Amino acid sequence: MARTVLPFLAVLCTLSLCANAAAHHSVAGQFDSTKRTTITGVVTKVDWINPHVYVHMDVADEKGEVTTWRLESLPTAMLRKAGLTSEMIKGGGQKVTAVAILARNGTPNLGWLLNLTYEDGHEYVLAGE
Amino acid sequence: MRTSEARAFGLRTAVAVATFVVAAAASAQSSDASAGIPRAPDGHPDLSGTWDNGAGIDFVRPRQDGDSICVVGCGGGGPPPARPAGAAPPGPSTPQYRPEVAARVADLDKRQVEEDPVLRCFAPGVPRIGPPDKIVQRAGEAVFLYEDVSGSFFRIVPTDGRPHPTNNEPSYLGDAVGHWEGDTLVVETVNFNDQTWLTDNGAFHTTDLRVVERLRRTADTLEWEATAYDPAVLAEPWQVAKRVARLTDLEIVESPPCIDRSLEHMVDDSHHTNPR
Repeated sequence: MARTVLPFLAVLCTLSLCANAAAHHSVAGQFDSTKRTTITGVVTKVDWINPHVYVHMDVADEKGEVTTWRLESLPTAMLRKAGLTSEMIKGGGQKVTAVAILARNGTPNLGWLLNLTYEDGHEYVLAGE
Repeated sequence: MRTSEARAFGLRTAVAVATFVVAAAASAQSSDASAGIPRAPDGHPDLSGTWDNGAGIDFVRPRQDGDSICVVGCGGGGPPPARPAGAAPPGPSTPQYRPEVAARVADLDKRQVEEDPVLRCFAPGVPRIGPPDKIVQRAGEAVFLYEDVSGSFFRIVPTDGRPHPTNNEPSYLGDAVGHWEGDTLVVETVNFNDQTWLTDNGAFHTTDLRVVERLRRTADTLEWEATAYDPAVLAEPWQVAKRVARLTDLEIVESPPCIDRSLEHMVDDSHHTNPR
């Protein structure tokens, strides 16, 4: 059930879904919507926590070196309302492509998750535009 | 009968008829509303149930297409779902403060990301926590349950006439006692600590905060109103916007742990909005 979710309207405002976005932009205080990245890898862990779920992805470069990304997402109540679970986000270990915006303070491999597209073609849009 | 007397008689008659009609309609309405209220064996309304108050995420209207799911920003979807009659629009009203503390409120508001206890997963306090998500009522007490972003919380509300306890430590959700005024459960809560805010806008309070909540059930809705009294800092009692929750069969669950990992990455004082 959708429950009390307080700091997260900011997410939507940041992503141009809120009329008074200028006044409320905490995600913009953390992530830069102009710095976008697309990464492909495997979801290794989902931290099903509030106030924000974290998705961990292992991403290998062309040399096979693996980097673990931390992708911040919505609160659990929103995902639950949409019928999403941590197991669904893991995708059964299949390859997944994530689109995210990057941390403003330069923290490496940290992003705000916009969407996930799995190898079999299905996708989860977590923060539309 | 003279013309003026006839007019006066006619006017009195019209007023009497109108009064009767209004009273009869009100009585019928009251009777109709009362008729749909489930009642406990003691005759009081039974507020037991799981209540969906929207929780500030009414705007989340997910869409599913096969195995794909869009959570927010899905486009289209039509207008937002209608709110029950009497429901307040999202967004908190603002408590009014005494002039001598206005600067402190403004400062806290400006530094909300640093100071708002809820952003660090502390219990939101009362009335900020809002209407209960679930009520379990039995003779002499009601138990309020909350599935909150900050955690799972409970409040036990004795309704057997006992006074407030005198030996409890001040707490985030205080000590509550309730009584019935007709079909309305009135809950008075005191003995708060001063570690919560009334809203997200720097709305601090003292340990003298007293909150009175009024809960009233119709057949399938729960009306919740609250008033905060803290005369040392508030210019006037703060009447929280009325909220209406719907009875639901979607059960609450244990709240996942609240562990903030975001604030350390904030690079400015962007206000972290809070719809309650």
